[in-house]
Amino acid sequence: MLNATPQTTASHTRWLSRLQQLPRETRDTLFLLALVGWIVLPQVPHLPAWCSALVAVVLLWRGTLALTGRPLPHRAWLIVLLVAATAATRVTHGALLGQDAGVTLVVSLLALKTLELRARRDALVIFFLGFFTLLTGFFHSQSLASAAVMLVGVWGLLTALINAHRPVGQPPLRESAALALRMALAGAPVMIALFVFFPRFAPLWGMPTGELRGRSGLSSTMTVGNVAKLALDDGIALRVRWDGAPPPQRELYFRGPVLSHFDGQQWTARGGGDGFEAALGPPPRDLQVSGAPIGYELTLEPSASPWLLTLDAAPQAPELPPGWRARQTPDLQWMANRPVTALLRYRAQSWPQFSYGQTGWDGRLPRQLGAELQLPAGFNPRTVALARELRAAAPGNSPQAIVQAALQRLRSGGYSYTLEPGIAARDSADDFWFDAKAGFCEHIASAFVVLLRAAGVPARIVTGFQGGEINGLDGYWVVRNADAHAWTEVWLAGRGWVRVDPTGAVMPGRVGQTQRLRPPPGLVAGAIGTLNPDLLRQLRAGWDAVNNRWNQWVLNYTQGRQLDLLRGLGFEQPSWEDLGKVLAGLLTAAALVGAAWARWERTQHDPWLRLLDAARRRLRAAGIEAADSTPPRELAHLVEHAPWAAELRAPLSRWLLALERQRYAAPGARGSSAAPSLATLRRAFRQLRWPRPS
Amino acid sequence: MCTKAVRWELNQHEFFAPFANPWRPLRSVFEFDIKTIATPAFPVRANAAFDHHPPALPWWAWRARLRQRWALWWQGRLPRTDTLLLTQRNVYILPTRAGWMLGVTLAVLLIGSINYQLNLGYALTFLLAGCAAAGMVVGHGTLRGLALQMAPPEPVFAGQLARLGVTLINNRRTPRWAIGVALQGTRQWAWADVAAGGQTTVEVAFAPPRRGQHAVPTLVAETRFPLGSFRVWAPWQPAARVLVYPAPEPQPPALPAGEPAPGSGHAGGARASGEFDGVRGYQRGDPLKLVVWKKYARSGELVSRDTQQVQRQALWLDYARAGPLAPEARLSRLTAWVLAADAQGLDWGLRLPGIEIAVDGGPAHRLRCLEALATC
Repeated sequence: MLNATPQTTASHTRWLSRLQQLPRETRDTLFLLALVGWIVLPQVPHLPAWCSALVAVVLLWRGTLALTGRPLPHRAWLIVLLVAATAATRVTHGALLGQDAGVTLVVSLLALKTLELRARRDALVIFFLGFFTLLTGFFHSQSLASAAVMLVGVWGLLTALINAHRPVGQPPLRESAALALRMALAGAPVMIALFVFFPRFAPLWGMPTGELRGRSGLSSTMTVGNVAKLALDDGIALRVRWDGAPPPQRELYFRGPVLSHFDGQQWTARGGGDGFEAALGPPPRDLQVSGAPIGYELTLEPSASPWLLTLDAAPQAPELPPGWRARQTPDLQWMANRPVTALLRYRAQSWPQFSYGQTGWDGRLPRQLGAELQLPAGFNPRTVALARELRAAAPGNSPQAIVQAALQRLRSGGYSYTLEPGIAARDSADDFWFDAKAGFCEHIASAFVVLLRAAGVPARIVTGFQGGEINGLDGYWVVRNADAHAWTEVWLAGRGWVRVDPTGAVMPGRVGQTQRLRPPPGLVAGAIGTLNPDLLRQLRAGWDAVNNRWNQWVLNYTQGRQLDLLRGLGFEQPSWEDLGKVLAGLLTAAALVGAAWARWERTQHDPWLRLLDAARRRLRAAGIEAADSTPPRELAHLVEHAPWAAELRAPLSRWLLALERQRYAAPGARGSSAAPSLATLRRAFRQLRWPRPS
Repeated sequence: MCTKAVRWELNQHEFFAPFANPWRPLRSVFEFDIKTIATPAFPVRANAAFDHHPPALPWWAWRARLRQRWALWWQGRLPRTDTLLLTQRNVYILPTRAGWMLGVTLAVLLIGSINYQLNLGYALTFLLAGCAAAGMVVGHGTLRGLALQMAPPEPVFAGQLARLGVTLINNRRTPRWAIGVALQGTRQWAWADVAAGGQTTVEVAFAPPRRGQHAVPTLVAETRFPLGSFRVWAPWQPAARVLVYPAPEPQPPALPAGEPAPGSGHAGGARASGEFDGVRGYQRGDPLKLVVWKKYARSGELVSRDTQQVQRQALWLDYARAGPLAPEARLSRLTAWVLAADAQGLDWGLRLPGIEIAVDGGPAHRLRCLEALATC
């Protein structure tokens, strides 16, 4: 029993060998179906259920057909399925055009096209649809993970494409995969060069409402929880270059939308809507500024909104590029005449000491302040009661005293600043003042304003940015989305609208220093943290660093950074035409390299032949004509019979014969004195004496 | 007719000389047979694309005539060589339709990335563009450096396919994949992969239209590897020639009677002993096909034909005696007779206008006669 038959192989190796024995068409089809599945899988959470089900059923059906070798379904089936998918898209999304409907349609088409996949050439349409679907995956996420999924998908599609163009036999997939990887690596420099230097244009058509996320992160409405999302976004909102020294942090309030109307859950601008109507009001006529102005140049990143962020308060319009006009709302906010969809740079001048809104009405509230006292009925009863207490306790019912009392309560009432206060209850102010006693700037400002309004003091919320930091590299003052802030303005008789930042009472460090809170750790992080806090810290720091780099260098690589890069390269006033010039320069350099290579490729590469060519040219100059194909032995023969002196002929003919021996000697004899090396021959060639032509 | 054919071949050479005047009007060079005028739709025959007998085109088909003139001029410039090393100078590259589709896809991806401000979308688009550029280089490198060699083609009979053996020699350290060889203008590709440092032979066939010595038509080595977006090709005009014998007549009459050999006295052989003409006893070593089997079946005696006897009768295959037929039909009959005589192991001589081949036998003699029949 020495040659016993081996045991039956384990089932998985049996499966593997069965897979390897599949005919080529079947194997290629199954690979392509697996690819389609990989590409569609990350988008399943964002697709309608019927679409995912359709894709799964179609892929399985086609896979079964491929494995069993049965014929493909009749074309009528495909048409029926296509019409059904289109109708379902229309019903689900309400339209056939648009982002979500388009994604659903493309995914359905991709799946249905596999049913028509007969020959290798038909796969081309699937490849191109597959590339599309990879792109649509980015609508929902552009994180590192989605980038990795995209890379694997591209690699798979390239492998399938290369495999489809090898018609001979059954080439192994790994050969095509290796070539695809090499091609992708070779194409990576092109990708990096184009990514860095290709100009970032504004969206080419329309503004897909609700789909384009404004990068500044501010919005004209504030529901509790809106601003917290931005606090984690390190994307740059704006950049400032101060004319002189940067002002102190406590004066760095950039004014955005002012929200006056509260319906119990959502704050909106005066007049409702998206605040654009507010721009129709007249600018404040009683803005008084004092002190030294601060001049600056502000570069605003693109957003879907027309707000021009300025430092409080700017009485004059910012100097905008031609084609732009600015209006000031009655709330001191500047707005442009169209949304900012590209990088916008403007100059402005602000006075940090200002006052407005006082109309000299002898302490009576102006008519226009009705909106700022309005509170919805039936909300926040405990806050209303507290407000009445404060009002009663304040000496002379003076609004200043009420404000001070409220701030004192914030300071000493056990309130804290957190980014995760939990789900906001219906009565958000009650929740803040009495139950949770924690929140972020939005909660604090909203609860504060509700309290003050209930106490009869007109107040409103101002959103915008606070703070920022200097960028060590280029000296710009950088304000990120994480610096989004909400503070309040209180109307005091005789002083007008006065800025009160209640967050400063809760957490002094939030205002005046850059301190960005981290979200509380998740489950895994929490577990690691209890086991080994150091490891957790290092992991988190490492992941933060990687993620930060990813965000900064890839996701937030905007027009602003491109122009910064150009400035770093030496351009004085970079614009997108300079980007075009850089690209054209790179293309020219590549073309020149290509031409030089083509020229080099035409020359003779064999060093022995080059040496022989050189010798032949010298002989031609000396008067011996020999064809290009003459071997060295014949040249030596011609030299022997040339009418020259013997001491000229002998070394030449010896050298030529040595050249022949170098090429044709037996392998063992190479390198010896009988058959010298090519380097020796080259040296000897330089020392040869050639006769002059007679 | 025979001499006229020779002169026609000379005209052909003149036209394809490297310094020929390309502006010579077509009609004066090519004497075309009425039968070769293309049908009104004038498609290029699949196996006759510029096999030096281009179809005559009507006067109003100016685009086709331009294309034909361009193709002829181009072919005239190709060097005629049986071994060709493909370098950057003789390899051409252009995008295919699938390549344009890829370009459109890239453009749409780019527009999508711009409109939705997706930086990763830019990365995807540019990565694909980089891969396409790398694919262009890989595709060009698949043909560049390849050596093509043509084996001398075997002679064939008219109506048969002439098979050309093309050897692809790869001196690179990496393999070359998906190289196709075909006649220029046709789409019947013979695909091959060539291993690193190895060689592969593929076979391409074409149908020569008539007998004679034909130059091998232009071949094209092409590849669309790796992404199918670029078509890389190299035209090649081999210097080899294919000899096409006349097609043998399907049912030829019997071989003609022998003529008295010079120097032999009497016609008719010895009919003593009731034996057949030219028959003798079987000797060891006689080829079996000369044995008269009917006699063996009847009487059990082994007798074989006496070729010497027949030789005294001197079989002569004569053009003038091949029957009242057209010249080509006569040549067909002669070919059939040559083949029959060779099958029977006889010795024969061939007489054609202007050529006389002495009586002989054997395969070399057969080849000589066939060649004479082909080129007369």
